[in-house]
Amino acid sequence: MEDQAYIIGRDDRILITGATGFIGFRLVESLLGLGFRNLRCFARPSSPSAKVEALLERGLGDARVEVVRGNLLSREDCRAAARDAAVIFHLAAARGEKSFPDAFANSVVTTRNLLDAAREQTTLRRFVSISSFSSYTNRQKRRWRLLDESSPVETHPDRLHDAYSFAKTKQDEIVTEYAQHFGVPAVIVRPGFVYGPGNPGISGRVGIGTFGIFLHLGGSNTIPFTYVDNCADAIALAGLQPGVEGEVFNVVDDDLPSSRRFLRLYKKNVKRFKSLYVPHALSYALCYLWERYSDWSMGQLPPSFDRGKWHTYWKKTNYSNVKAKTRLGWTPRVSTAEGLRRHFESCRQGEQLA
Amino acid sequence: MLRVAIVGCGKIADSHAWQMQRIPGCEIVGVCDREPLMARQFYERFPIQRHFSDLEDLLREAKPDVVHITTPPESHFALAKFCLERGCHVYVEKPFTLYEEDARQLIALAEQRRLKITAGHDDQFTHAARRMRALVESGYLGGDPVHMESYYCYEMSRSGYSGAVLSDKQHWVRRLPGKLLQNIISHGIARIAEHLTTDSPQVIAYGFSSPFLRTMGEREIIDELRVIIAEEERATAYFTFSSQMRPSLHQFRLYGPKNGLILDHDQETVIKLRGKRLVSYAEKFVPPMIFAKQYFANLAGNLRLFAGNDFHMKSGMKHLIESFYRSIVEGAPPPIPYREILLTARIMDSIFVQLDQNQLDRNQINGQERELRERCPMPLPSPLAD
Repeated sequence: MEDQAYIIGRDDRILITGATGFIGFRLVESLLGLGFRNLRCFARPSSPSAKVEALLERGLGDARVEVVRGNLLSREDCRAAARDAAVIFHLAAARGEKSFPDAFANSVVTTRNLLDAAREQTTLRRFVSISSFSSYTNRQKRRWRLLDESSPVETHPDRLHDAYSFAKTKQDEIVTEYAQHFGVPAVIVRPGFVYGPGNPGISGRVGIGTFGIFLHLGGSNTIPFTYVDNCADAIALAGLQPGVEGEVFNVVDDDLPSSRRFLRLYKKNVKRFKSLYVPHALSYALCYLWERYSDWSMGQLPPSFDRGKWHTYWKKTNYSNVKAKTRLGWTPRVSTAEGLRRHFESCRQGEQLA
Repeated sequence: MLRVAIVGCGKIADSHAWQMQRIPGCEIVGVCDREPLMARQFYERFPIQRHFSDLEDLLREAKPDVVHITTPPESHFALAKFCLERGCHVYVEKPFTLYEEDARQLIALAEQRRLKITAGHDDQFTHAARRMRALVESGYLGGDPVHMESYYCYEMSRSGYSGAVLSDKQHWVRRLPGKLLQNIISHGIARIAEHLTTDSPQVIAYGFSSPFLRTMGEREIIDELRVIIAEEERATAYFTFSSQMRPSLHQFRLYGPKNGLILDHDQETVIKLRGKRLVSYAEKFVPPMIFAKQYFANLAGNLRLFAGNDFHMKSGMKHLIESFYRSIVEGAPPPIPYREILLTARIMDSIFVQLDQNQLDRNQINGQERELRERCPMPLPSPLAD
């Protein structure tokens, strides 16, 4: 593709936060693949050196890949990272954090710091914030249970019992606020469940192993998978395509498998284990009872399961990637069949090493 | 209605707010954090009247009777002092202060102003800890404690809180005089301090970085600590902190002249240890039955508490806060005697001074050894295992 097709030139500086992470690492490869030659990768001080070295190796040849270590909770570090950046891909986030304040600090405060630093840059053309499907309420039953970019987002994140969803919803709020009030050219990307080598295991949308036996909760639900390389391509395009400022893009692949099919393939290709199917009506009833008891007892049982979580993760839902395809010109380059094959192979190797 | 404020809106502040909601007769009139976004998120998730990013504004506008300090430890002294000077009672999260001298100043200031202050040693107020205290007060031990063993372990991993500390060389925990230990061991030390009768026990501390940390190149953080605490010709105590031993115990063993007690914080059990021996084979068969009966009674008690909706994960915190508020309203003594807070701080000071000295000695020996090795081509025995 020609230079003028994108909003920046091949030598303009691009900042990627969370660059040593599962998606960030592939995003660097996607950008290099598109011919961009001036990448600044922001990594936590704790990021494994091997990953950082691997990133630096990508910079050999005519591409310049710089790694800056720092903490996004520090405004100085954010300023240093954002200096002269034309496009910022903000992937760093608190994953797996159970504490609300910690999740909030590592998603929202960090995003605010980066947005403030970005605003100071006259070079900034695009700020891409990575969000999550958990920002949608998914409580509505309309249009054949379709969840797309027009679906309503959570308006009372304070009522959510899941720290990650709360933090991601608040992160979206602050990005939108900065776009509206300060004119930050922001784009929000919401990937589904990103899978592939490097992210072993089974999505919670399929089921959970919390109670000793694997409870299969997904049943016939479609799982909104996106293979990591496909997701990275979509994120890259969200930062480069003209005319998409202020837009939100959901990213899911084509030919998505059902939860039941995924679980069957996983057992066949990775390892066999016992699972117990829990019908949707029953899982909803259990979530409802858990929520009521947790509320009544004022947290004697932590509010780990509730109806909000059920709607987000286990409600029968269909997904669309039409907007990403039409507005970003994105197509998943790895088919779901091939993606699952690679994923299972990586899981199998992980199992053998364990 | 007691007007309460919280300063510092991090993880532990959530626990305070949850427990306060269960306490009748108090309301959270304001919260404060230097980071306005943190104060706002806290305000949005709990029934809180107002949020602030400046402590002076909070005290002036929300007018709290009590302030809970839930910030990182290095700010405890200054914030608590500020609140006391403005007439508020203060609950300070553990560790109370960085140094005993700071603790002494805060307590003196509180007494001078006729205000109450307490430390967040909430583990001493769990159901099991209170059962143990009641047994001690009933004379079950048969006299003053002879010996104590306090285990306060911590599972170190590359993720979560410990992962954040290990990976960030600028983490606030590293700036504490006792680093990671300072932020964790006060619960285990306070248990011993409660039962000491003199104010200046002898403290001998030995600490090192575990092999787990050394493989990560970490030498600054000490995660294995053994301490002997002795009152002259009276009670003695062992304190163990370990990140590597399994099970990762949180246990307190108390032995008197007649009987002993074991408190298990994780399992919320209290087990009585009979001092008297039975005859012959009876000693082999009867005590296991007695232990089985005691464990069953503990299980039944825990189930009863759960069914009665009084078995929350932070039930100790609720009881401590409730007792502290009662002491304010009724003018009763504070739930944790000031002597105990000071003794805990003094023992911790002594531990950290010794660990620093040991580290200096070790560096000196390593330096000398390096020098010797450079001079002498012959292999030298290792003088000190690192």
